[in-house]
Amino acid sequence: MKRGALQVTFAAVVACGAALGIAAGLASASPAVTQAEPAAPSEARGPSPLIYPGESLPIRFDHAQHARLGATCEGCHTTAASSTTAADNLIPPEAACRGCHKIDRANPSKPVAAGQGAARCDACHVDARGGGWMPGSDGGVVEPPRVAMPRPNLKFNHRLHASRGIGCALCHTAAAGQGMVTRADLPMMASCLGCHDGKQATARCSACHLTEPDGRLRVQLATAATIAAGGSGLLQPSGALRGFDAHGPTFRRDHAQAGRDEKYCLSCHRRNECVDCHGGVVRPPDIHPADYVSLHVVDARRNVPDCSSCHRLQTFCVGCHQRTGVSADPSGGQRGLKANNPFGTGTGVKQFHPPGWARDAAGVVIATPRPNSHSVQARRNIRACVSCHREESCLACHSADPTRGLSVSPHGPNFAGTARCRFLSSRNQRACLKCHALGSAALDCEP
Amino acid sequence: MRHGIFVGLLVCAAVPRAFAYDFAVDLRTIGQGYQVRGFAPDGSNELLSRRRLTQYLDLAVFDIGPSAWHGDDGGRNLFTFEASFRLDADFGGYLLGAPGGAAAIPELKQSAFDVLYAYFGGRNVGGRLDFQLGRQIHFDLVDFYSFDGADLLLHLSRLVALEALAGTEVRGELPVSSPIYELDGTSAGSRDPATRPGQNAMLAPMAGAAVALGPPSGTVSARVAFREVWSATADRQPGDPARGVNFEALSLTAAAHWRDRVTVSGGLRYNVLFDELDDEQLALRVKLTSRQWVTLEHDFLAPTFDGDSIWNVFATGAYRDLRGSYELALPRGLKVYARGFVRFFAATDDEVATTGPYAGQDVGAAAPGGRRAEGGSLGAAWRSQRGMARADLYWDDGYGGRKLGGDATARFRIRRPLELEGRATGYTWRDDLQGGGGNASGVVFGLQGGGRYQLGPGVRMHLLLEDNFGTFYTSQFRGLAMVELDAGL
Repeated sequence: MKRGALQVTFAAVVACGAALGIAAGLASASPAVTQAEPAAPSEARGPSPLIYPGESLPIRFDHAQHARLGATCEGCHTTAASSTTAADNLIPPEAACRGCHKIDRANPSKPVAAGQGAARCDACHVDARGGGWMPGSDGGVVEPPRVAMPRPNLKFNHRLHASRGIGCALCHTAAAGQGMVTRADLPMMASCLGCHDGKQATARCSACHLTEPDGRLRVQLATAATIAAGGSGLLQPSGALRGFDAHGPTFRRDHAQAGRDEKYCLSCHRRNECVDCHGGVVRPPDIHPADYVSLHVVDARRNVPDCSSCHRLQTFCVGCHQRTGVSADPSGGQRGLKANNPFGTGTGVKQFHPPGWARDAAGVVIATPRPNSHSVQARRNIRACVSCHREESCLACHSADPTRGLSVSPHGPNFAGTARCRFLSSRNQRACLKCHALGSAALDCEP
Repeated sequence: MRHGIFVGLLVCAAVPRAFAYDFAVDLRTIGQGYQVRGFAPDGSNELLSRRRLTQYLDLAVFDIGPSAWHGDDGGRNLFTFEASFRLDADFGGYLLGAPGGAAAIPELKQSAFDVLYAYFGGRNVGGRLDFQLGRQIHFDLVDFYSFDGADLLLHLSRLVALEALAGTEVRGELPVSSPIYELDGTSAGSRDPATRPGQNAMLAPMAGAAVALGPPSGTVSARVAFREVWSATADRQPGDPARGVNFEALSLTAAAHWRDRVTVSGGLRYNVLFDELDDEQLALRVKLTSRQWVTLEHDFLAPTFDGDSIWNVFATGAYRDLRGSYELALPRGLKVYARGFVRFFAATDDEVATTGPYAGQDVGAAAPGGRRAEGGSLGAAWRSQRGMARADLYWDDGYGGRKLGGDATARFRIRRPLELEGRATGYTWRDDLQGGGGNASGVVFGLQGGGRYQLGPGVRMHLLLEDNFGTFYTSQFRGLAMVELDAGL
C-alpha cells in the first residue's frame, strides 16, 4: 500500500476511534446511565454520595413527633453510644419500636386505641410506589422492603465521641426537629471541622477519611451502586476546605494557588503524579492540543502557559529546535548547512526573524531600539529567545571585549548606578565576567 | 544441630515483631512514536519521526517500624522510603545521523537514567519532627526545586514550625539527574569559553530555612522562607571569584479562609541576587452560592535566571497578569466555566528611543502585538461515575499572536475493564511577529482515539492514536502505548 493510502487509512481509523469515544461519552450522558448513581462528588448540595453512598429507606418516620413524645436518641438507637466503627448499622430494629408500638405480625392491621402507637404495618412501612405497605400488597410479598444504608466511606467512632460528652444533636443538628432523616442530613465535613481544628481535636485528614497503606487518603471509593454500574468513584476536594483546592474544570490549568502547600496536596497525591505531568515526557493533550509543535509559537512568545513549569528551556527547547532545523547554532543543528537553513539570518529560503531584527537592509547593526528590533522582544520575554539561543549568541555583539564583540551595551540607562548592578556584581561576578574583562571599572558598577 | 537452633533463635529474636511494612511498586512502560514538523534543507516542511521509550519505576516502603511506635492515634513516628526512577530512550530521525565530534549538539545528549527522587522520610517523629533525607522535590507558590540532602521540619507548637534544609541542587549535568528542576539561562552546550560552560557541571550547594505560622488548614497560615544556591567557580583563572550565587531569595506565602466561602492567598518573592521583588501573586476565590465560584488573580513576574546567566541583565521587562474565572455547577455532574486573562508587559526604561529614526517614540508600544496579550476560554465538563465529557473553546490574542480553537473530549467506561476515549481538536493560529506570512500562520485539526483496558488487578494498558492535519501536512501521526503495573504488598 502506498504511503498516501496508508495515511488515509490511518486517519480513518483514528477518526472512527475518536468518534466512537466521543459518541460513547455523549451516549453516557443519558439519564439512564446516571440514574444508577448520583453524579460524582458535588459541592452543590448535600453530602457526597462517595462519602455517604445512596440509601434505600422504605419507611415513614417522624423524628420530631417522637421527640415531642419524649423519645430520646439513645432510647431507639441503642447501639449508637457503643459503636466504634462507621460500618455499624445503627438503624433501630423492629424490637426497638415494640416498646411503644404493639406490633403483632400475625395481625398486620391490628387496631390500637387512640393515643397509642400505631401497630399496623403500613403505619411505618412503605412500598415501592411510596404507599403504605401491607403483607401481600406489593405483588404478594410478605416481607416489607428493607432499609438499606451502605456503610459510609469514613472512619467514625461514636463511643469515643460520646465518652467525651458530645451529644447526638451537636452533629445530627436537624434530626430531632424534622420528620424523616436521610443521608442528606448526615454531618458534613464543615461541621466536623468545628471541633477538628487541630486544637480541640486532631485535624489530620486520615482521622476521618479512609486511607491507603501509605497514609494517603483513599480517593477511589467504590459504592454498591457504582460497582453495579461497572465503575468506581473518585473523591475530589469540593473546595469547602480551602477554596482553591476545588478540582473544577479549570483546575488542571490553574492549580498554582492550591499547590501553595505541598503537604496538603500530598495527602491525596503521590509525588510521582507531579513528576509525570511536569516532567515533560508525555504531552498532556488538554494543555498542549493536537500538533502543538505548530501552535506553540504563539504561547512561547507570551509565555502563557509558563513553559518553564515543565521544561528547562535551555535544554528542552534548544535540543528540539536544533533537531528540527530551527536553529541558531553555527552548524545549523542537525539539518546541516546554515546557508540553507530556513531560519538563518538572511541567506535561507525564509527568515525566522523579521527584517530589522538586528541589522538594517544594508546589513548594518541596529544600535537603537525600533519596534521590530530584537531588543524590545528580548527585554520583554527573553525566554522566547532562550529556546534557540545560548548566551554565546548575545556575546557575539554585546560583549564589552572589543576584540570579539561590537560592545553594544545591553544595559539600560544608568545601569551602573543601580542596586541591581551592585547586588549582582557582589554576589556573582562570574556573570559580569562573561562580557567585562577582569579589572574593568564596570565590575565595580562604576559609571 | 545445636548451632542451627541457636542461629534460628537469634534470627527470631532479631526480627522485631508487629512490624507492618507496606510496599508499593509502580511500573510504567510508555512507548511513543510520533512525527514532528521540521524543516528540510530547502526550507520546505517535513515530518521527522521520533520513537521514544520511557520506563518509570516507583518504589515505596511505608510504615517502617513497629506498629507500637505509631501511638494511640496511629499518626506518630511514621517512616517511609519513596523513590522514582526513569529511563528515557530516544530513537528516530532526530538522533540517527546527528552530527558528532566538534559539531555535536550537546542538547541531544540524553540523560538515559534519572533518579527523580529517592528519600527516606519521617513524619511526626516524637510528635514534633518531619524529615526527609535524600533526593527530594519541593514546591510552593513561588518556588520549585529539587536537591540531594536533608530537610527538617520541627513543629514547635500547633502554630509555629521551623524548617531547615541543606544539600546540593539537582542539575542536569550531574549523573542520574534530570535538568527540569535546574535554573534556566546557562548551557553546558555553549561553544564560547567566555560563557564558562563547565560551570553547569559544578556541584551547587543549597541551604534554606523557613518559619511556618498557623496550621495549614487553619483560618490563617503563612510561611516565610529563605533559600540560597551557590557554586564554586569552574575553570578558575587568576582574578576570578572563588564562588558565585546562583539563586538567593526570600519568600512569603500566606492564605486566609473565611468559613468555606472566601479564600485569599498569595505570595511574594524578594530576589536578593537582583534586589527586586520578582514574583508577586494574590488570589481571591469566593463561593458565591453552593453552585457558583469566582476566582480573581493578580500576578506580577519579572523573569530571572540562574545567577550565572547574563540574561538577568538583558531581561529587564516584567509582566502583570489579571485573571478571572467563573464556575457553575449544574445538576447531574455538569459544570460550566468561563476564564479570561490579560497580560500587560511593562515598559522598560529604554523603550522610548533617544536616538535614531525613532527618537522620542515609544517603540515598545509600536512593537508587533503591542504591550498586551489577552485571552479566554469557555467550556463545559460533565462527569459521572462511568466517564466524562467536556468541550472547550479557546481564544488568545495580542502580543505573540492569535490562537482560536477548541476541542471536545470524552472518556467512557464501556464495561468494567474497558474504557474508550476520544478527542477532536481544531485551531487556527497566527504569529504576530512575522505578520502571519509563510510558516507563521495555519490551521490544524486533530483527532485522537484510544482506550484503557484493565488487564487484571493492578495491570492497565492504555493505547492512544492521534492524527493531525492542516496547513502543513495531510497527516501527522502519533501513537502512545502505556502499560502500567502497580502492586502493593
